[in-house]
Amino acid sequence: MTDDDAKVSARYRELAREEPPRHVDDAILAAARRATASRPAPLVAPSGRRRWYVPVAAAAIIVLAVAVTVHVERQQPDFEVAEQQAAPVQTPVTEPAPKRDSSAPAELQKSQTSSSQPAAPAPKSAEPLAGLRESQRSDTAPSAAQARPEARAMRSERGAEQKSIGLAAASPEQWLQGIVDLKRQGRDEEAEKQLGDFRKRYPDYRIPEAIAEKFEKR
Amino acid sequence: MLAYRGGDVRAFETLYRRHRGALFRFILRSLKQRAAAEELFQEAWMRVVEARGRYEAQARFTTWLYTIAHNLLVDHWRRKGLTLVDLDSAPEAQAADNPARQAEAREALHRLLHAIDALPPAQREAFLLHEEAGMSVAEIAAVTKTGEEAAKSRLRYAMAKLKAALNDD
Repeated sequence: MTDDDAKVSARYRELAREEPPRHVDDAILAAARRATASRPAPLVAPSGRRRWYVPVAAAAIIVLAVAVTVHVERQQPDFEVAEQQAAPVQTPVTEPAPKRDSSAPAELQKSQTSSSQPAAPAPKSAEPLAGLRESQRSDTAPSAAQARPEARAMRSERGAEQKSIGLAAASPEQWLQGIVDLKRQGRDEEAEKQLGDFRKRYPDYRIPEAIAEKFEKR
Repeated sequence: MLAYRGGDVRAFETLYRRHRGALFRFILRSLKQRAAAEELFQEAWMRVVEARGRYEAQARFTTWLYTIAHNLLVDHWRRKGLTLVDLDSAPEAQAADNPARQAEAREALHRLLHAIDALPPAQREAFLLHEEAGMSVAEIAAVTKTGEEAAKSRLRYAMAKLKAALNDD
């Protein structure tokens, strides 16, 4: 501030110091008292030590939401993993001692006789049919693979060695499906070998005609 | 203000006593009409009371209070048909219209007060915010919602005109 500015300020302060009238003061103060007496201040943000309430509460809600979401997801069937197990490739079947399942494809169920190998467990009973042609699955349970073309693509790219290991550990239905996949991929030699192994292991297993036809086509 | 937001009426009373005079003079010398100034002054404090729940200490209370007053003044001038451009230009000779102010000017520093009245509203506002509220250029810019250069320019022009008026003694 220059000297001239200071002079202006000083002269300004010499002016009459107007004040609001008393009745205006009273009205304003009365309104301020009424506001606190009638209702609490709306939208009051916490202050002081209470400020931590809001972020802690928000964090707790977020953690709870994430935990519930993860829990729900784990409860749902993992279609990707199921597809891998259905395909006769790397993932060994880890299901418990399988039991005959009414939801399994009718064709495969009829084929099972006195084989010591029980049928695939319920959640995976539909998986062996994944990848079969549409005409062969008309009376079977819907397969998740039909809606997952990417799973079929994954199966076609798997290594032969991994397939063999997976096939041997798979259920009969899954093994057959794996053999069908090998045929489809043009791996006739492998498919024939696997088919031979299959018949040795399940001599009484009646291969469905639809599947058997595939093996006969050369 | 935070204490008042929490329900402490005495905190409001302290705030009011601290700022009532300066705010009243700011509004009075901006409007140059006492009745309108009292009304607008009361309205400004009513808004403070009503907004106490939303108040957050993002700036000085003084800045917030005078922003409310500024907005009320702008609304007042807008109702009078004045635009923001008009606020920066020299006003018509209105000081002589108020006999009460003429008498006051005769009793005290006539020319200074008359010079303040003669300032364009925007310059007068910058000067009064500087003198009554003790605001810096940055705070004046924040209250009047202008850039710092504009606020600085307005204050400088106001000071120059008032200095010239004083030098006429």
